[in-house]
Amino acid sequence: MSQRQLAYVFDLNKCIGCHTCTMACKQLWTNRKGREYMYWNNVETRPGMGYPKNWEQKGGGFKDGVVRTDGKIPPMADYGGVWEYNTAEVLMKGKGDQVVPHEKPTYGPNWDEDEGQGQFPNNHYFYMPRICNHCSNPACLAACPRKAIYKREEDGLVVVDQERCRGYRYCVKACPYGKVYFNLQTGKSEKCIGCYPRVEKGEAPACVKQCTGRIRFWGYRDDKDGPVYKLVDQWKVALPLHAEYGTEPNVFYVPPMNVTPPPFEEDGRLKDEPRIPLADIEALFGPRTKEALATLGREMQKRREAKPSELTDILIGYTNKDRYGI
Amino acid sequence: MKLARYAKKLSLLMLCSAAALNATAWAAPAETGARTLSALAVKAGVDARSPGAAVWKQAPVTQVDLQPAFPGHPSIVGTPATHRLTAQAVQAGDMLYVRLRWNDKTANTEMADTDRFLDQVAMQFPLSGEVTTTPFMGDGNNPVNIWHWFADGRTENLFAQGFGTATPVATKELTSSHARNGDGWDVVLARPLAVKSDEGVVLNGRKSVPVAFAAWDGDGQERDGFKAVTLEWWQLQF
Repeated sequence: MSQRQLAYVFDLNKCIGCHTCTMACKQLWTNRKGREYMYWNNVETRPGMGYPKNWEQKGGGFKDGVVRTDGKIPPMADYGGVWEYNTAEVLMKGKGDQVVPHEKPTYGPNWDEDEGQGQFPNNHYFYMPRICNHCSNPACLAACPRKAIYKREEDGLVVVDQERCRGYRYCVKACPYGKVYFNLQTGKSEKCIGCYPRVEKGEAPACVKQCTGRIRFWGYRDDKDGPVYKLVDQWKVALPLHAEYGTEPNVFYVPPMNVTPPPFEEDGRLKDEPRIPLADIEALFGPRTKEALATLGREMQKRREAKPSELTDILIGYTNKDRYGI
Repeated sequence: MKLARYAKKLSLLMLCSAAALNATAWAAPAETGARTLSALAVKAGVDARSPGAAVWKQAPVTQVDLQPAFPGHPSIVGTPATHRLTAQAVQAGDMLYVRLRWNDKTANTEMADTDRFLDQVAMQFPLSGEVTTTPFMGDGNNPVNIWHWFADGRTENLFAQGFGTATPVATKELTSSHARNGDGWDVVLARPLAVKSDEGVVLNGRKSVPVAFAAWDGDGQERDGFKAVTLEWWQLQF
C-alpha cells in the first residue's frame, strides 16, 4: 500500500465520446516504438465489445484473495491493427481519389461505436473512457514473478520497471481490465503511467487536462477538499468498475443517468421504465448503482427547482482547480 | 518454506524411485544414473560451432530427462511439453561447446503476436562451481550463471540469485548457433573455458562442473519458471 493514492472520477453523463483524451495520451506516449497499437486510454461504447475485444471475458483479477491464473493474453487481433492512411498521396499529391487505410481493419478501439443495444427508437448506449485503474491491489503486480511492477510510494501509480521486465506477460494475463500491453519491439510489457512525469511537475495527466467534456476529476484519494473524495466518499455517486475483480480500482465512474426519454410502447406512449436497464449499469458498477443514481436524480431535481446543490456544482466542475486542484 | 517442502517431497520421490529400480534390477544407462556429461577433448581449432559439425558424430551422447520446474510463483502454472533432451560436449583447446537436441514440432522463432512466445533452452552453472548451490536458480549467497538461447537467435548470459532475479550480464564470450533437426532443435552453445569471473562461471582448471538444463516450448506459452528442467545438478566432466 502506498502512502497516498491518486484517483480519478469520470462522469459518464458528461462524456461525449470525442476521444480527445485518447488522442492526448497517444500523442504523448504511444505513437512510437512498438506502442502504436496500444491505447493506454480508450473510450468505448457501452454496451459493446470494448477494447481489447471482449475484455470483460478475458479473466484475471483475484478469487478468494488469490491472483487468478486463467486469464487470457489478448492477441493483436483483439486490439486491432496499426493502419496508416494515404492522406498525403490523395490530398497533397492528387494521387487516387479516396483516402483509405493501407490494410483492411478488422478491429480497433471503439470498433462498435454508437451501436449499443436495442432497435431504434428504443436503442441505447453511452460512452465509457478507460485507463489503467492504478489499483490499490493490482493483479498485474501480484502476478509478476520478477517484481517488475510496483506502486509508487508517493502517489500509488502502478508502473512497470522496464529494466526488470522480461516480457513474461503474466501481468497482461492477470489484469482483468486488459490494460497492460506487450510491446513486440522491446519484448516488454507496458501500461498507462498516470503521466507521472507531468504529475511530478504539478500538472494533471494529459487525458484529464485535455478532456473537452470536462468529465474527469483527479486528485489524491484522501484529500477531503478535493472532488474525488467528495464524489466517491461523501456523496457516494462515483463507483468502481467491476469491483468484483478484487483489484480495488482507483478510477471511479459516475454512472449514466437515464436522461434520455424512456423507451416507447408500440402505440407511441412512453414506457414506465428506464431506457438503459438498471441491470446493465449494475453489471458494471455493482449494487450501489441504484443508490448513486437516486442521489444524482434528487440533486438534479433541486437544480430544476432553482435550489442550490453542492453535488451538481461539483459535477459541473467550473474550473480546472475545481476538477483537479491545479 | 514451500521450496523446502518441495525438496523434501522430491527426495522422498527419489528414494522411492531408487527402491523401485533396485527391486526390478533395471539396467539404467550408466551415464543417466550417474548424471554425468563427458566432454570429448579434441585439439584446439576443431570446429564444433555448427550443430552439423562432424565432431558431434564422435562426442558421447547423453540423455537428460526433464521434469516440470518448481513453480516459484503463483502465476506459474501448467505442465511443460519437453520430457528429455540429449546433450553432448566438446572441449577444443580452451573452448567449450555443448550441443543440445530435443523434440519440438513447432518452431517458435519469432514473437509474431502479443500472445506468442519463443522456444528456448538454457544451461545453468553454480558460480562457485559447487553442488551446494541450489539448482533452483541459486540464492542470495550462491549465484548461478545461465546460458540462455532463444529461438530468434539471441543468446543471453544471465546471473541469478533466486527465483525472479535472472539478470543479463554483458559478455562477448557466449555465442550460439542453431538448426532445425526434423521435428526438433539442435542448439550449440559455445564459450571459452576461461572468462572474467564477473562475466560467468570460470571453467578452466576444473575436472568437472555442476550443470543443469532447461527447455521451454514457446507454442505452449512456456516462459520463465514454466519450463522443463533437471531438478538436480548434473556433472559436466572435462
